[in-house]
Amino acid sequence: MRFSPHGKRDRQLLLELTSMVDIVFLLIIFFMVTSEFARDARAEVDLPLLKGEQVEQSEEAGLFINIDATGNIILSTSESPVTIAQLSDRIQRLVQQESSPKVTLRADRNASIIRFNAVIRALNESGVSSARIATEVPK
Amino acid sequence: MRFTTRQNRGGKRLIMNMTSLIDVTFLLLVYFMVSTVMASPEDRLRPTIRTQDESASGSDADFQPQIVDVILVAGVPTYRLGQNDMTTASQLRDRLSNLPADLGVFIRGGEGVSVGFTMAAIQAARDTGFEQVTYVPLE
Repeated sequence: MRFSPHGKRDRQLLLELTSMVDIVFLLIIFFMVTSEFARDARAEVDLPLLKGEQVEQSEEAGLFINIDATGNIILSTSESPVTIAQLSDRIQRLVQQESSPKVTLRADRNASIIRFNAVIRALNESGVSSARIATEVPK
Repeated sequence: MRFTTRQNRGGKRLIMNMTSLIDVTFLLLVYFMVSTVMASPEDRLRPTIRTQDESASGSDADFQPQIVDVILVAGVPTYRLGQNDMTTASQLRDRLSNLPADLGVFIRGGEGVSVGFTMAAIQAARDTGFEQVTYVPLE
C-alpha cells in the first residue's frame, strides 16, 4: 500500500485514527458490559504459613472450600456462606458428576479446628478420601 | 505497507496522530492495574482424610498406628505423640524423625486448637519423610 505517491511535493498524508479508536473503545465497553466474569472461588483468608509439599505440577482447580476466621464456609465470594448440610449436598452432586473430585480446603490459620473437622467429615461421608489443604508459602 | 516516506524524497512527511491510541492503551493499563488482585504464592498439603470410625476399623493386632494428637493440654495447644507432649512444630519434627516413616502417621485434630497449629503437624510429618499422612478429626 502506498500512501504517498512520488513526485507530488508538499503533500501531507494524515492518517486519521480517531474513528478507529472510537470503535475500539466501543468494543471494549461492549465486552466489559457483556462479559460474565469468573466467580472468584478464593475468599480472602489467612492461610497457614507453611511451605506445603512443593510439588511442581499443574492441577485441576476443582472445588474450593474456604473457611474464614469466624468459621464461615464460603464456596464463592459472590455467594453467602453455606451450612454444612448445603456443603454436603454440593459435594454429593460433585461426586455424582466425577468419581474422584478434586477438593481444595482454604482454611484460615486462626479458624477453630471444629469447623474444619466438620468439613472433613462432610467430605468423608460423601466418599471423598483426600483433600488438598492450601498453605501460604512464607516469604 | 509503507507509512512513512523518507525526508529525502521531496520533503514529504506522513504524520500519524497516535494520541488517541496512547490514551486508550493507558486507560486499559489503568483498568487492569486497578482490577488485578495480587495473590500470595500458595502451596498444598495432601493428606488422606478419614473419620475416626474408619480409622478404628483395624484391630490393634493388624498394625500399631503412629498417632499425633493435636489437643489442648491445660489450655495450651499441644502435639501428643505417645507419652510425649510438644508445644512447637520443630519439637514434633524432631520426634517424628526418629520414627519409621514407611508406616505412615495419623494426625488427629481435637477441639480448641487452631487450623494453623494442626496443619503444622501435617507439614512436620511431610518434612520428616512420611509419605502416608492421614488426617482424622478427633471426636
